[in-house]
Amino acid sequence: MIRALIIDDEIHARNELEKLLDATGAFSIVGKCANAVEGVKAINRLRPQVVFLDIQMPVIDGFEMLGMIDREIMPLVVFITAYDEYAVRAFEEKTLDYLLKPVAAERLSVTVEKVRDHLQKREHPAYPTPELTRIPCVKGGNIKLVPSDAVEYAVCSPAGVHVYVAGEPYFTDLTLKAIEERTPLTRCHRKYLVNLGAIEEIRLQEGGGAELRTRSGATVPVSRRLLREFKRTVGL
Amino acid sequence: MTLVFSLLQQMSVFLVIAYLFTKSPAFRPLTGETLPPRHKVILYFVFSAFSILGTYFGLPVGDAIANTRAIGAVLAGLIGGPILGLAVGLTGGLHRLSLGGFTAFSCGISTTVEGLIGGLFHLYLMRRGSNRDIFNPRIALTATFVAEAVQMLIILLLARPFADALALVRVIAVPMILANSVGAALFISIMRDQKGMYDKFGVIFSAKALKIAEKTLGIMGRGFNHETATEIAEVIYRETGVSAVAITDRQEILAYLGEGADHHIPGNAIGSEQTRQAIRENRVIYADGIHEVFTCSRSPACPLGSALVVPLQVDNEVIGTIKLYERKNKLFLSLNRTLGEGIARMLSEQLLRYRYEDQKNLLLTSELKLIQAQINPHFLFNALNTISAVISEDASRARDLLLHLSNLFRKNLKRTSDISTLEEELNHVNSYLTIEKARFEDRLVIEQTIDPELLETRLPTFTLQPIIENAIKHGVSAMFGVGIIKVTARKNGPRVEISIEDNAGTYCPEIKEGGLGMNIVDKRIKNLYGRQYGLVIACEPERRTAITIVVPAEG
Repeated sequence: MIRALIIDDEIHARNELEKLLDATGAFSIVGKCANAVEGVKAINRLRPQVVFLDIQMPVIDGFEMLGMIDREIMPLVVFITAYDEYAVRAFEEKTLDYLLKPVAAERLSVTVEKVRDHLQKREHPAYPTPELTRIPCVKGGNIKLVPSDAVEYAVCSPAGVHVYVAGEPYFTDLTLKAIEERTPLTRCHRKYLVNLGAIEEIRLQEGGGAELRTRSGATVPVSRRLLREFKRTVGL
Repeated sequence: MTLVFSLLQQMSVFLVIAYLFTKSPAFRPLTGETLPPRHKVILYFVFSAFSILGTYFGLPVGDAIANTRAIGAVLAGLIGGPILGLAVGLTGGLHRLSLGGFTAFSCGISTTVEGLIGGLFHLYLMRRGSNRDIFNPRIALTATFVAEAVQMLIILLLARPFADALALVRVIAVPMILANSVGAALFISIMRDQKGMYDKFGVIFSAKALKIAEKTLGIMGRGFNHETATEIAEVIYRETGVSAVAITDRQEILAYLGEGADHHIPGNAIGSEQTRQAIRENRVIYADGIHEVFTCSRSPACPLGSALVVPLQVDNEVIGTIKLYERKNKLFLSLNRTLGEGIARMLSEQLLRYRYEDQKNLLLTSELKLIQAQINPHFLFNALNTISAVISEDASRARDLLLHLSNLFRKNLKRTSDISTLEEELNHVNSYLTIEKARFEDRLVIEQTIDPELLETRLPTFTLQPIIENAIKHGVSAMFGVGIIKVTARKNGPRVEISIEDNAGTYCPEIKEGGLGMNIVDKRIKNLYGRQYGLVIACEPERRTAITIVVPAEG
């Protein structure tokens, strides 16, 4: 059974696709999500093999959502759209498949074959994804889209990933890796990314590491292992 | 005593010249309400001439001259203010100085002072706001009386030897004060009468022009054709009293009224060369019947002898002419000439306005059609997907949704020029909302608060639809949480306010600029009800967007 995740903002569309996928007997549905933020969270947590992804969704569309996923855990993606066929076509070569709503069972069986085929080859899917200009965060129960260039640094702790804007932490479901891959934030520590433009001071420490002081006065460590490369990046 | 009579006699000649002056074009400047600088210069020359004439008409008394020089100076000051008075007084005074005699110097000074005195009276009247009194003969009498008395004092003060001066003043004081005062009063009364005539002429002209404007207003709105041309020709014919009136388009006579109607027949091609010339060169052609005679090209027996041909134009393009005719033995009044040109200009402007309105409405309708067309495919796809998903779960609900869909499309076929009641609009919108509710389910909450008394309120068809669509497409569809759309209709004094509010606050910049179809909706309401009605847009980014339709309450 192929582990599949459905991401679509319309409940009837989700339910119907679930039925159709069940009917093929090829999939086990690991989850259903109603928007991109839920989708990112579910992919990070459930690691599905294939995602059925609606393009038209509120605030963050399907394309932008792909840019929020770690390349390492990128699932196969089957786009779904009610219209805008042309937008998918531009994407077609790099994508596995796309389905038009309402989905016809016969057409779906073609998709099943493609997915099986791909999984057998064990090719790692790589989709061209746009630069991440905003990072979906949760603050006070609401979803906030934080512009990536406003972030001073990002930190991964047991409580999850937080990005800091003007000294304020914002929780995000994105992984540090995904943020590193698609924003200008630079890795300076196993658990830290930093915005080079936000650094005010670099203090070298005995024992080989360093400490950075950011605009808002926060301290960000630079690990011994990454110091050499970090120095090169900032031009020291 | 003889001197009094002789002076009065001289003054009579003087007044005849004054009378002729009021009939001449040089008098024109005085008929207006205000005096521009150019007119003041004209007045300076005219009154200086009067002042100098007064000296020449004077009678020698010993070595001095008993005269009516003061009238020009005082009146110049009275009518044109202190500066003009001074200038005229100085001119008259210098001229007197050049003639010599033992009072030459004192007379030169005193004439200047007299002009100033007239100017001071002018200032005084202006301050009191009684401008009309400038042409009051009594004021002129008083001013000249004072001025002449001052002149006598100045002669006594300045002329030497004093004994001679005293003797002179004894002889001339009474006659000169009397003659000048009365003369000035008579002069100003002649001017006042003449001015009154001009005013009256102006009133008659304005009344006629206004009457024609009022009666023709709106006729052009129905187009430029035989019917409307005939109506306009009738108004012009009646109000101007000319012998005949014709209106043509570029090729033929559209309407003809008056003498010669037996051979000037509507529908015939344009016959006269003057009309063709007016159309070709886009200018007014005037055959006054004296220098240039109008000759009818159709019938030698035609009684008409003079004509005015004025082109009618829209956007610099001549679309026809208006023609006014007079009989051979009748003078073409310049009043009618001015009126004719004015009427043509007014009608041209009306035509331009109506053409503009026409195009505006056309544009509005096509823009609206475009918006409807843009919306439908996406909406239809979504609706069909929803229904296809609902069928397996709840067949009767799916059927219900299909009925709403067909209701919606049937309504969309309605003509955009139609007027709907609020009830019809809500019905239309409810079909739409029912389908969208099925699509979004829990993510969409609709709250309606409609005052049932307002259901008969009239709105342009498709007023509500685009606003609700925006709230769904750009509001609820563009937010993570639950979208709430509130539709309310309530009466607020003499106005009905129908508002559509959502809690997304996601499309403020677009609609603030009138985008997303909002300016079309707004324009259509304004076209129907007037400028003070239309859309009121309020929004807080990320919080809410509220669009309120404001229309007048019925009855």
